[in-house]
Amino acid sequence: MGLSSLSAFPSVASSTGNNNRIAVIFELSGGNDGLNTHIPYSDDIYYQLRPKIGIREEDVLKLDDAYGFNKSMKGMLNLWKKNQLAIVKGCGYENPSFSHFTSNAYMHSGVPNGGHALGWVGRVADELSPEFRDNLIVNIAAKQSPAVVSGVHTPIVFQDPERFRKFEWINNFENISEFDSEPSNLSFVKKVAASAKQTSFLIDEAWKNFRPTSDYGIVPFGLQKVAACIKAGFDTQLYYVSVPNNLFDTHVSQGPLHSRLLSYVSDTISGFFADLANDGLDQNVVMLVYSEFGRRPGENSNLGTDHGTANDMYLIGPKVSGGVYGSPPKLDQLNQDGNMNFTTDFRRVYSTLIRDWLELKPERILSGGLDPIEAIISS
Amino acid sequence: MSLQLILRIWFRHLSLALLLAFLALGSARPANFDLSPLNKNDWTLGHAKHLLERAGFGATYQEINRVYRLGPEQAVQLILKGGAIERLAPFEEFEHSGIFDQSLDPFPPSRPALTAAAKISGEGLGIKVREGVNRPLQPIVNKFFYWLRASRLETDRVVYWWANEMLATDHPLKEKIALFWHGHFAVNEDKVRDYRKMLGMLNLLRKHGLGSAEDLVNLVAKDPAMLVFLDAGVNTKNAPNENFAREIMEMFTLGDGKYSERDVREGARAFTGWEVEGLNFNFASTNHDNGKKTFLNETGSFGGEDIIEIIFEQNECGDFIASKLFTFFVTENVPPSLRSQLGEILRSADYDVSEFLETIFLSKGFYSEEIVGQRIKGPVELMVSTYRKLNISKVPGNPDFNTSSELMGQRLMHPPTVAGWAMGKSWINPSLLFERNNFILELVFPDIGFVPPDRAPPFIREVTNVQNRLREGLPVSAATAPTGIEGGMMAESNKNADRDEDFNTRLGSMRGWQMALERVRPIDRHVPSLDFSGYMQKQNVNTVVEAVNALERDFFSLRLGKEQRNKLVDYLTTLLGSNRLNYGANNSESALREFFHKMLSLPEYQMG
Repeated sequence: MGLSSLSAFPSVASSTGNNNRIAVIFELSGGNDGLNTHIPYSDDIYYQLRPKIGIREEDVLKLDDAYGFNKSMKGMLNLWKKNQLAIVKGCGYENPSFSHFTSNAYMHSGVPNGGHALGWVGRVADELSPEFRDNLIVNIAAKQSPAVVSGVHTPIVFQDPERFRKFEWINNFENISEFDSEPSNLSFVKKVAASAKQTSFLIDEAWKNFRPTSDYGIVPFGLQKVAACIKAGFDTQLYYVSVPNNLFDTHVSQGPLHSRLLSYVSDTISGFFADLANDGLDQNVVMLVYSEFGRRPGENSNLGTDHGTANDMYLIGPKVSGGVYGSPPKLDQLNQDGNMNFTTDFRRVYSTLIRDWLELKPERILSGGLDPIEAIISS
Repeated sequence: MSLQLILRIWFRHLSLALLLAFLALGSARPANFDLSPLNKNDWTLGHAKHLLERAGFGATYQEINRVYRLGPEQAVQLILKGGAIERLAPFEEFEHSGIFDQSLDPFPPSRPALTAAAKISGEGLGIKVREGVNRPLQPIVNKFFYWLRASRLETDRVVYWWANEMLATDHPLKEKIALFWHGHFAVNEDKVRDYRKMLGMLNLLRKHGLGSAEDLVNLVAKDPAMLVFLDAGVNTKNAPNENFAREIMEMFTLGDGKYSERDVREGARAFTGWEVEGLNFNFASTNHDNGKKTFLNETGSFGGEDIIEIIFEQNECGDFIASKLFTFFVTENVPPSLRSQLGEILRSADYDVSEFLETIFLSKGFYSEEIVGQRIKGPVELMVSTYRKLNISKVPGNPDFNTSSELMGQRLMHPPTVAGWAMGKSWINPSLLFERNNFILELVFPDIGFVPPDRAPPFIREVTNVQNRLREGLPVSAATAPTGIEGGMMAESNKNADRDEDFNTRLGSMRGWQMALERVRPIDRHVPSLDFSGYMQKQNVNTVVEAVNALERDFFSLRLGKEQRNKLVDYLTTLLGSNRLNYGANNSESALREFFHKMLSLPEYQMG
């Protein structure tokens, strides 16, 4: 798969999808340990592979006869009980990379073992609106994710809404930059400067007026900011949020640390949906949760886990039919490296969101994994 | 000097000369970047300005003139060896606050690991478990948090020390290359948790940054900060650490995809037994795997040094490091043909970074229109060069260097991931651009609400709540209960935060801060005194047009467009109420500062 292999598609303004719906992508950077998140407590091999860090049956929040959540995930358990949480097992790709950056590049571009100048979320935006539309993508981050790079739209990227306020100092500097046609670094900075001016006002207003009606836990990871934008009635359809700094990279003594991270994630996700539900806004939102890879099933000698392959992906929201989808990789059939063999092309989860939620054609955005997982989202 | 060494150096120069001659011959075909040497007669004041901007942190107009008069060869020699510009303040070694004691080494991997061990042994971090009292482990937990906080604050002081040297030095390239390597060997204090190791690695990068890249990789691979950062402390023949071997190849020398997973595994075996003891590298031979390894198609009973030597024999290693240096100093636009040319130059210089940079700094392409003023400055470069151009000789304490640079996307000693900071366009997005403008604002109009972040860090709000409740007389368990949302259900993570009866982590966190404040020396919080009226007067600026020209000449790498300049002139005229500067009236300083903020908020100021 080469670079920009999809650019041959003609740009026709016909496919605009469903413009009332919102997708929130939540990335757990660092490689979340899926086996200690959605725990196969009835599988003896799990405990053989993880004699020290395997989570014992009595410490598991049971979901069914086979699986339970890490005990810190009470918030996610509530979403599960409401039938709003779908877990897709064994997501991955051929020739897995064990590098955070490479695997992230595949996940962000939606092109395994290749690349794309644009991110997959950015390409979704370009399908939703082939013409420039204000504020279509919001990325809560200090630095723009490669996933949201769009051919048409400038994503709004911010971390701390309060820092936007001082910008009125230069607001009276209208149109001082002359745009040039060449795609140089300078013209790039000029374009960002122009869009920054208008969005600063919007974000500032949204955040000032934001009143959470639920508890997002200790670390909200940007989901409060997403809720603020949704409550303020932004036209944004695509939100991208991540747990920063490779926090899920738990090589050493992972037990309490991993559990704590999961509690933050679980609390903020359930708080987010509860907050939106209180204002009657949750029906328009589906969230996708993923990590760049899973971790090796066998524990390492440092009470942690090393970079692995296949992992679970989550789709969450009132319009999602909860349950376990896909086939879990068999722990007694690991590959020669001791890693899981993936069972579901990760792009199929993207396709599910693209076709069944945003009502776009996956083949216009992705080059593989085009068959959505049926019946997760029935709209 | 031995004859052998002389011959070796002579050979190296000969081969480089031959290579350059070859490249010059080959330049008939279309080339994006002209590597052939700059003609002495083409050297201009603008060239000198560009060289000082890229190889350092900019300079004043007077300094640029001095370097211009040296001519290209001598200018580049002094850039490489130091002395091209004046030193603004004498060099001083870092002054330690004295926060460390031996009982903190080795520091436990986590608080749970510490308390679990202390329960068994009856002691931790040099403190005995208390008896007959509630929370018997509390002093041990306090000390744990003390060190985390103190090391972080002391690291902020290390950054101040370094930033001051960037600003004051007469050898800015030495600091600039250290900044490059700090992003290349991107170690983060959050994980290392020991400012002494961070300082040690920084000084290693400063000392050896302009020497051989191969020597540097060898030194860094044995550096305590790096070993801790890549979990090499737990790297034995029975449990080789693949992370270490992988990052050395992927991040430091070859790039991803230039080696197999087998190379990672075999390389990891060769590095077994590499560990840290205090502030020293230690080779634990009993933990080393002496067996045969096959690495990048070579087989032998390799040790870690052999692995690095084999890596540096790969062409790809030269290409990778050379193109990254080029991206940092010249442009991120490196087409494949140029990439291999650059790799060839670095390899034929025996990986000598100075020699490589000399070739670049003396090339025609380096001074071409596509390069000059077309690079987006990094946050640290933006700050230091702004100070330098304003003739400020000491890094201001307000605005805070660490806070400002972090808000702009680059907190030194805390790179975001092991890949360091992405360069180029990733420095800019709407909020980062605001922060660049806010930095200039806070420089010319100091924030009177400024709270020194090393005395009251913004993220300790909850710790302060605990302290206030204790002072109100609440018992520890009530005082340390998390502050929730009124009427709301307390989230699971909030409930978990205070669950062990043997100690209270939130109390420990508060005590840790107090102890750290007591021992870490404060950062000097001076505000620079600026005088824009004096600056204008000294340059005989009489009109608004001349004022705009002066600021453009002294602060910008690019010429501004005509229309833009007219708007600036109109704007300053409005601010002053006149198109002339009236020095006798003494009333234009605020207007000039406001104008300076606007002008340096332009997209063009982000370019260097």
